[in-house]
Amino acid sequence: MSNPLAGKFGYAGGMPERKVRPIWDAIDSRQYKNALKLSSSLLSKYPNLPYPMALKALVSERMGKSEEALSLCLEAEELLHKNVTLLMDDLTLSTLQIVFQRLGRLDLATSLYDYACVKFPNNLELMMGLFNCYVREYAYVKQQQTAIKMYKLANEERFLLWAVCSIQLQVSCGQGGEKLLGLAEGLLKKHIATHSLHEPEALMVYISVLEQQGKYGDALEVLSGTLGSLILIEVDRLRLQGRLLAKAGDNAAAAITPDDWECFLHYLGCLLEDDQNWCNGPSSEPSCPPKSVVKPSHVTDDVFYCRIEDAVGLVQKLETEAKIDPKRGPYLAYLEIHRRKHLHGKGDKEKFIDALVQYFSRFGYLACFCSDVEVFLEILHPDDKTKLLEKLGESSSSIALTPTKFLGQSISLQKLRMQIGSDYALPATELESTAERMVHMYCESLSLSKELDPQESMQGEELLSMASNILVQLYWRTGSIGYLLEAVMMLELGLNIRRFVSQYKILLLHLYSYFGALPVACEWYRTLDVKNILLETVSHQILPQMLTSPLWEDLDDLLRDYLKFMDDYLRESADLTFLAYRHRNYSKVIEFVQFKERLEHSNQYLAARLESAILRLKEKADSIDEEERVLNGLKCGTQVLELASETSCKSLTFNEDLQLRPWWTPTPIKNFLSGKNATSLKLSEKQDYRKDWETNARQTAQRRSLLPRMIYLSIQCVSASIKDNIEANGSMSDAKFLLEMESLLECYAQLFGFSLNDALKVLLDVAEGKNSLEAFGSDMIDWVNLAVFVNAWSLGSHEPMLQFIDGWHMVNALVTKCVEQEARKTDPLLYSPRGHVPVLVQLISEPVAWHSLVLQSCVRASLPLGKKKKKSGLADGSNSSLSQAVRDSILSLCGTVEMVAEWLKEEVNRTEDEALDQLLLFLAGGQSEGPGRICQIIKDFVSNAKEGELGDCIFQAIKSWSPTDVARKMIRGQRRMISDFLQICSSKLKLLEGLKQQI
Amino acid sequence: MTTIRRFCCNDLLRFASVNLDHLTETFNMSFYMTYLARWPDYFHVAEGPGNRIMGYIMGKVEGQGESWHGHVTAVTVAPEYRRQQLAKKLMNLLEDISDKIDKAYFVDLFVRASNIPAIKMYEKLGYVVYRRVLRYYSGEEDGLDMRKALSRDVEKKSVIPLKRPVTPDELEYD
Repeated sequence: MSNPLAGKFGYAGGMPERKVRPIWDAIDSRQYKNALKLSSSLLSKYPNLPYPMALKALVSERMGKSEEALSLCLEAEELLHKNVTLLMDDLTLSTLQIVFQRLGRLDLATSLYDYACVKFPNNLELMMGLFNCYVREYAYVKQQQTAIKMYKLANEERFLLWAVCSIQLQVSCGQGGEKLLGLAEGLLKKHIATHSLHEPEALMVYISVLEQQGKYGDALEVLSGTLGSLILIEVDRLRLQGRLLAKAGDNAAAAITPDDWECFLHYLGCLLEDDQNWCNGPSSEPSCPPKSVVKPSHVTDDVFYCRIEDAVGLVQKLETEAKIDPKRGPYLAYLEIHRRKHLHGKGDKEKFIDALVQYFSRFGYLACFCSDVEVFLEILHPDDKTKLLEKLGESSSSIALTPTKFLGQSISLQKLRMQIGSDYALPATELESTAERMVHMYCESLSLSKELDPQESMQGEELLSMASNILVQLYWRTGSIGYLLEAVMMLELGLNIRRFVSQYKILLLHLYSYFGALPVACEWYRTLDVKNILLETVSHQILPQMLTSPLWEDLDDLLRDYLKFMDDYLRESADLTFLAYRHRNYSKVIEFVQFKERLEHSNQYLAARLESAILRLKEKADSIDEEERVLNGLKCGTQVLELASETSCKSLTFNEDLQLRPWWTPTPIKNFLSGKNATSLKLSEKQDYRKDWETNARQTAQRRSLLPRMIYLSIQCVSASIKDNIEANGSMSDAKFLLEMESLLECYAQLFGFSLNDALKVLLDVAEGKNSLEAFGSDMIDWVNLAVFVNAWSLGSHEPMLQFIDGWHMVNALVTKCVEQEARKTDPLLYSPRGHVPVLVQLISEPVAWHSLVLQSCVRASLPLGKKKKKSGLADGSNSSLSQAVRDSILSLCGTVEMVAEWLKEEVNRTEDEALDQLLLFLAGGQSEGPGRICQIIKDFVSNAKEGELGDCIFQAIKSWSPTDVARKMIRGQRRMISDFLQICSSKLKLLEGLKQQI
Repeated sequence: MTTIRRFCCNDLLRFASVNLDHLTETFNMSFYMTYLARWPDYFHVAEGPGNRIMGYIMGKVEGQGESWHGHVTAVTVAPEYRRQQLAKKLMNLLEDISDKIDKAYFVDLFVRASNIPAIKMYEKLGYVVYRRVLRYYSGEEDGLDMRKALSRDVEKKSVIPLKRPVTPDELEYD
């Protein structure tokens, strides 16, 4: 310690510890008022010590007094600079560091530590503090330099490794070239020569440095040498060895395989030299195994078969070892060997199918059967798959099993049919009876779960999700809403019996969303308890629907929760990285930093930041003054603009777990049910949808990031142009706005693939009826937005391309056309699934809102300051034509919004019972086929159920199921959407009425 | 033949299907990362062919003197992979590391007193109820502190049940 007082026992930062402790206790227990009192009095006693200042600053910051905290810190810093030898100690510095960090001034903390380290060049503790500062700033080069200094000073292994990690970070996350790795290797070698290595993690880093340079042989040598014994978990060492051998292309590696799948794959890869390492590994994305191999020319057929024999022999050995306790492993390994043979063109189809059948007869009852065999089925031809299904069917009837295992096997078989897609080829009636069979089976198997704890998953739980998938399929084919309703009813029953089945909840939330009952979808979503990191991977189930809904408050909550999670994590991340340094878990250091980069570039994080800014703009759009306040908070829109620069959009990461989505909406932007019906669509590769979605997300982000700035510029352009006309002295800044607007419009148009000029032509053609709305494709809202901004710009611009354009007329015509078209589609059914309400909501809350801002800006600019009388500005001479245009546009917008509002009122005024009757009518039937059958099956089951057979719990649960209640819940959800939407429209109408009065 | 390897950050993005289970808590990031940064050998994930996450275990090693012990913070298996003894395999791994690498005296864990299936499973694995912790879970439900002695505790002193329940503030570690 540099502080002479601090060295003495019981002293902290230059004063007795007993005086400081109560302050820390108060801070820890969040009694900030008390802490402030104590720290103030301490400071008055020791006015010239920096530590009490730092303490008071800490408390002030916690109490939200940032400015006071900062000035106290700066004062303390000044004192330290003045009397460095006496006052500088680590406790004071680290306290100041905490405050600086919380104030977002990492730079100040760093420079303070930097200064201290210069003054006390041999103080390790201060250097660690400085290193920590650089970790927080992700300044890898500085980290490295500091660590090297510490290493030279103390000669400790850990500081060397800190330096090596800092080098690796420069290579993987920074600007550093791979050459640097050579330096790291040299440092390590030199140290090992004199001191050896003592930490397993140090060895792992050493090996990874070699591996990164492609020096697999060297790495293997180290691993098999004395240092290798540092890795204590045998499997870990073998797996690492296997990976290195596979990378080194060393096919002599044959002998090393414990019961570990990844090891086995490395082994096969080495043996067959086919570079087929499709295992995931900790760092890469989940990957599909490649469907072809590059066969090395020197491996002759004989050699190949010989090696395959070796592999089979090894698996047989494993199988014998596992005899007492049969595991899936060896059997999966056989399948993998077959798969490899097939890829090498030496496969035997029949044997492969037989192996699959065998696997089925052993493990078909397990719930993971289908996911186990998924990769193996991929290499089969469709006809072979059909053959396989037949064989599996035969085999399943020939084996005697316990009822539970029999149920499991039947489910696997059915699931496989759906996975392979053979059910998609069945005629509707057969498909329907498949679903009926499943529901029967589910009902019958309920008694098997009688004794289970209510928290345990049920036997046959999956049957309901499978049946509901079929029902949705039937709806997709026939357009009969009844099937969808049945799926809802059935899943609700399932959740009555077991409240926790997340699979059901996810299906339901999508069904309710589709029915336009988003509030109910949200309720189910909430019960999934999606929090923390799950927000990143699971939010996509609900967020996209919410973005186009009128439920702004709920949307705001969702976005806020998510952003809070991300911001908190990003703030803490560096501290956790330092924790890994301190605990000498060096491999985690690299991992943590890479993970931080991955989340920082998350597409959802970007989208959430953009959308929460846009949401605030939507909410305040009915008052131009409030809107301007929002815009000010967004730095006039530039803040959002910077978020989505082209480079950042290219490096976006996609962390959403799409596997949990239902089949009919494989990505957030794809929903088969909203498109044309089944006959015109083919289910294509999942991978393609993923790619489409990623491309779309990038474009959307770029487009949406322009909005706030364009809204701001629109308001500026309009008021400038009107001032121009009135005062005839346009300013320089106005011209700059016009220029910037033009370039943003150009960008916006380019994102559609057009030049601005060409995009204008498209807009005009559609506005004048020469082209239909189809020309906008799926980007209708964005096109109308473009029209609104072009109009605002055209008021001040003298661009030749605008010469023949009547922007006002264009906007009026487009808005009317779009709304009419969408309202027509939606009319008149509330219970028409999905309908086009989301599009209408977007039309009203975006282009209509932005245009109403343009109108507000016109009216405001034309009124003399501070006065709001009727006759002035726009009505005067030179402005009369503009005034007329504004008036016409207000009237036109009013008419359009009114049309929507009227339609919504009609829906709201319909009685709940009336809606209920109509809804339940879809289920009436129970004839031999068509919707209603499944509901009938369940109803019959419920009314005949006996408590003794099912147990009290399940019995009560099924008795409480009521289709009418479910339908009511759905209708109420729909109505809440409608009434929230109506409120948005009413607010717009009120604004427009007000504008009418002012003009 | 699964792969059991160290848990890593990227696994956090792939474990949704496991964590949507209502009995599996999703902790905040600093919780997971503190475990990863401090006890990486106590945080393992099981992956099946096809790279699906089957389940994972997280834990730590702590204590002083004869209460130096391994602790299971969470162990969970995805519904698809249950009833295959995967939890057992993961538990054994953690016990092994506590026993052989860290030379701990015992392994302990807390479980909701109402979670009968889990309690039964732990008992099968050799754990005994060491003591009851009153209102351990959110101040409502009691927890059971279950223990299994390791080879270093030759006389199995660490698992002699306490006669009387304790309150959460009497716990030495948490």
